[in-house]
Amino acid sequence: MHIDLKKEIKESTTGRIGISVLLLVILLALLAPVLGRYNPVGQSTTTLLSPSCGHWLGTNHVGQDIWSQLLYGARTSLLVGFSVGILSLLFSILFGISTALIGRVYDCVVMRIVDAFIIIPTVIVAILVAAYVKPSLFLLIIILSVLSWPAGARVIRAQTLSLKQSGHISASRTFGASQLYIAWRHILPDLVPILLVEFIYGVRRAVFMEAGLAFLGIGDPMVVSWGTMMHDALRFSYLDVWRWWLVPVGVALSLTIIGLTFISHAVESIIDPRLRGETVA
Amino acid sequence: MTVLRRNLATYGITFLFILALNFILPRMMPGDPLAAIYGDEALIAMTPELKAHLVERFALDKSLWEQFGAYLSALVHGDLGYSYYYNAPAIRVILGHLPWTLLLVGSALVISTLLCIVLGIESGWRRGSRTDRTLLTGMMSLSGFPDFFLGMVLLLVFGVMLRWFPLAGALTPYSGLSGLPLLLDVLKHMALPVTALTLAHLTGGYLLTRNTMITVLKAPFILTARAKGLSQEVLKYRHAGRNSMLPVITMMGIWLGRVVTGALFVELVFAYPGIGQLSYQALISRDYPIIQGIFLMVAISVLLVNCAVDLLYSKIDPRVRYAH
Repeated sequence: MHIDLKKEIKESTTGRIGISVLLLVILLALLAPVLGRYNPVGQSTTTLLSPSCGHWLGTNHVGQDIWSQLLYGARTSLLVGFSVGILSLLFSILFGISTALIGRVYDCVVMRIVDAFIIIPTVIVAILVAAYVKPSLFLLIIILSVLSWPAGARVIRAQTLSLKQSGHISASRTFGASQLYIAWRHILPDLVPILLVEFIYGVRRAVFMEAGLAFLGIGDPMVVSWGTMMHDALRFSYLDVWRWWLVPVGVALSLTIIGLTFISHAVESIIDPRLRGETVA
Repeated sequence: MTVLRRNLATYGITFLFILALNFILPRMMPGDPLAAIYGDEALIAMTPELKAHLVERFALDKSLWEQFGAYLSALVHGDLGYSYYYNAPAIRVILGHLPWTLLLVGSALVISTLLCIVLGIESGWRRGSRTDRTLLTGMMSLSGFPDFFLGMVLLLVFGVMLRWFPLAGALTPYSGLSGLPLLLDVLKHMALPVTALTLAHLTGGYLLTRNTMITVLKAPFILTARAKGLSQEVLKYRHAGRNSMLPVITMMGIWLGRVVTGALFVELVFAYPGIGQLSYQALISRDYPIIQGIFLMVAISVLLVNCAVDLLYSKIDPRVRYAH
């Protein structure tokens, strides 16, 4: 498959929308200290204020500036999302390629474990673990990565298996190339588009899970998170505060996920021959 | 045959993994293992006799292997432990909450399956048209909204602002309703959570049906059907549509296995007294027997449903039997 991925993503409407949205969120997260004029965890006596010039989105129940929290929350979401995305992609590549190349008992054992992981719902494992240990942000990233690599490994294994049959790889094998050399030099480069899709899936799932778990109160209470903000805001739903407390956070979270969905759809419809030429919007 | 054996191996491994996680986690915790197995509530009610009894029951003074044996034998007898928070056996508490979750998720499952199949077929049929593009964009945007946010928006708009629907629970408490009014009351409480769940689960099935539809429409038998002069509707639903439903049915089956976790966030938003709400309460109050019981139940139901889907699928689609 020889496609100019960069060019095609730029040409697809979905890809352009997705990338713009994601870049916007990244920009806001990076500029958080500049745009948000308050310490996101600094409490004050001015609680539950309506939006004003001083506090663009008002303040919450302990007097924290909601706009600043929104910006710093983006940092948490993106940090967890991208860390889990990278870590679980590395696991997927490691196990996906190695099972396909080594095969035999190793392949069989690893794939049964992969299936087992795919079957068990992530949320409930996270809850079980969180009931015993209060996970820090670092531990959360590890837990989510460990739970989310198997689906990707399955896809990468399938692709590697079919690549393995192609002529240039047999040729390189007859020249005496080692498995490691083949994996690095011939298989990995051809997997790039699929790795990209898997990576974005991973990021998306992690952003989603981080918000959901924080919404359940699982996670470090000192870390500003969109999930925690929504959890707190829901408790004050009888007041009007949800209009500037709950809704902007929910929209920010949804936009981030939509951005990622659009990008992954764009890449998928480029690399999947059945869906090629798909146009959206 | 090999497929079946491979699947059975997977289910065996999964089950062992789950049991091990359930067994090891509390015993790895620092401090009194009784506190980790039974939760803090138990320690308040603890008398020396009770403590001796519990230590004996779990063989806590013996080796890990004997402890595992004691744990397994309790499980075989359907004993998931005792919740000191609810003052009842864990299994009874869990089963008491289960019907509400089944009701909620079952309704959402039926509605969203029907909707996504119809929308997917229509969209795939006129691929590239305006309707298709609007639907596709709309569905993909919809999938970005987490179910709990959808739930909250519905709650705030239709519950708080418009006051059309009740804000929380599954029934009006102490209303003493029966018969038809009771049914209406239950339906009214269900409406918003079911809508949130349905919307949240629509996209996956829709995309799957649409993609399959696109592939199926290129198949030769569609050309034959067209050549026979069949009407568009027959072609669309009876020939192409029926084939496009298969993957969605698998997917919905798998979702059914996740019944319990699927409604977790939505139940929380609407304070709906199902398993999700129960898990949350148990998490907050560190009611370990309940959490472990729910984890085990989720795992078993997921395994059973997966097994059933495997069997059913090879019945519906004979190709699967020869595929591996």
